[in-house]
Parts: sequence; structure tokens; C-alpha cells
Amino acid sequence: MKRGLLIAGRVILAVIFLYAAYAKLREPWLQFAISIDSFKLVPENYLEILARTLPWCELALGIALLSGIAVRWFGLIAALLLATFFGAAVRAYAMGLTPDCGCFGAGSGDMLGPKWFAEHGAMVLLALAVSFGGFVSSRSARPAPEVTPADGRLPNPGPA
Amino acid sequence: MLVAQTPVAQTPAAAQKKAPVQKTALATNFKESGSPSAPITIELYTDYECPACREFYMSSLPLLINDFVHTGKVHLIHRDYPLPQHQFTKLATRYANAAGLIGKYDLVAKQIFESQPEWDQNGNIDAEVAKVLSASDMEKVRTLVKTDSALDDSVTKDQAMGVQDRLNQTPTIVIVYKGKRETIGGGMPYTILKSYLDRKLEQ
Repeated sequence: MKRGLLIAGRVILAVIFLYAAYAKLREPWLQFAISIDSFKLVPENYLEILARTLPWCELALGIALLSGIAVRWFGLIAALLLATFFGAAVRAYAMGLTPDCGCFGAGSGDMLGPKWFAEHGAMVLLALAVSFGGFVSSRSARPAPEVTPADGRLPNPGPA
Repeated sequence: MLVAQTPVAQTPAAAQKKAPVQKTALATNFKESGSPSAPITIELYTDYECPACREFYMSSLPLLINDFVHTGKVHLIHRDYPLPQHQFTKLATRYANAAGLIGKYDLVAKQIFESQPEWDQNGNIDAEVAKVLSASDMEKVRTLVKTDSALDDSVTKDQAMGVQDRLNQTPTIVIVYKGKRETIGGGMPYTILKSYLDRKLEQ
């Protein structure tokens, strides 16, 4: 049951990242740069590099999550990435800005508001849950260490 | 900036003698600037009452014109896209296009954007336009605004183009390069637009 939930969560998270990457990569990078700039957080000279690389990072992360390799670490990276976006959005919202987050491409209606925060907050929690599940799963799957007495004697089999 | 050209009436005989126009060569009018044979065409959709359009018009556009239009790299076409939620934008568009017909498009469009915070409050675009035109020119513009029923024709065409380009905000630029149209919405710092265009030209 727990394993099934972990797989489901991981696949959902992977699809989110893959779709986000696809939506950005099919558009000119200038469009995503505009979305990033609308948060008024990143200096202008970093906009291009960020707009050109972030979608590819999302694509790689999506593939990694889908593959099921090192879920705990990729889940953690996903959680950190999503939490960073979330933090940037909270800051923009507090400043009274209404940026188009461009998370799923331009014109996807990703305007900041209660709905946006609910959805993206859920994504952060999902990524954290996947990462946590990955850590728990890897610990329980690890073989128990063999006990070897420090003095080289065999363990006492008990009274004969 | 934009070259105003009054349409020249042709006789049927003159029209027949004229060499066929290439499909790629767009007709030049007061809303266009730069060489029609420039490698990149930028179609700029704006709404006179939109603050982000004002920002783009005042901060990015002069640099774009200086670096790309005047150097023959970009052919710029201004397209009107008055948004329904803006009360006075259609009237502002009529004033700008009327001014275009008398060869004062650039001057008046600039003034309308610059004075947007003023007329946005009371709709008195006439007073703002009058500040930059001579009395005789202003009278011509007023007459055109009141009587010219064809003044909105280009706006209707621009809006139809905008729908085709799937506009969802203003300002939006459509970059036409090697026959491909890229619709990019939102105001942007000039530095990234410049970088984007430079990379396109390097291709």
C-alpha cells in the first residue's frame, strides 16, 4: 500500500515536471524570461541563463523521478525547487505584484492568488512526501548488518 | 521613427504599368518603420490605456528602434489592440490614427502614451494631443476623429491579426523570422529582448 502510494506520488510529480518543461520548451525562451522578470527577483543579466536552463533542469528532474532511481534525493531536489518558486511567489504577492508565473507556459492563467498558492503548496507537500517516502523505503530495504563480536569469538549459543 | 506616407491614388492605367509586388514586401504606412526587407519583422500590439504598454513604449521601444530598426535589422509594425476593459482606449486609438493620416503619428502616439496618467482619469485625450500639434493640424485631427468612418478599419484588421496570433495580453510582440511567427506577451526589459534578437540574427 505504502509502496503503491510512493510510486503514485512519484509519477504525479514526474508528470508535473515533465509537463512544466514541455510547456516552456515549446515557447521561445524570451517568454519564460519575461515571466521570471515579472517576479522582480532575478537581476536582468541572469534572466537569459535561467530562462534557457531551468526548463531543461525540470525535464531532467521529471525523467529522473519517473525512472525511480534515487527517489529520495530527486524528491528532495524537487521539493527544494518547488519551495523556492513558492517562496518567490509569496514575496511577489506580499509586494503587491501580480506576475504570470509561467510555470506551465505563457497564458496558462497561472496568476498568483489563493488557488495558485493552494495548488503549488500541494506540490511542495507532494515532493516532500515523495522524498520522505523514498528515505523510509530505502532504509527498510537495506539489509540488516551482520553482527560480529569485537573480540573475534562466536556469539554465545547459550547453555547446552 | 515611423515614416508617414499618404496613400497615393492611382489611375487604373498606372496600376497596370506597375511591376508586380513581391508577396514578402509589405506596404509601408504610418504604422511601419524600417526596411520591409529587414531579416526580422516585429509586430507590436499595444493598447494606449495599458500601463505596461506605456512602459514598453517609453523605455524599450526607443532603444529597439535605435539598435535594430535604424540599422536595417528589424522592420517594425505597430498594431492596435484596444482592450475592452479600457474605457478611453478606442478614442485614443482614433486620435493616433487620425494623426497618422496627416503625417503626425509618431508625435501623437508618443504624446498619448506619455500623458496616459492624465487622460486615463478624465478621457480628455483631445487636450493632451492639442499640446503637441499646431492649431491647424489639431483641427484636421479633430475632423478626422469625428467624421472618418474608415479610421477604425486598420484597428479591426489588427485585432483580427491579434486573434490569429492568440494574444492574451498587451503589450505583445510577434517576431517574424524566416517565415515563423513567435508570439511573446508581456512587458520585458530591453536587455533580454536585445539578446534574443541578436541571437536570432546570429543564426
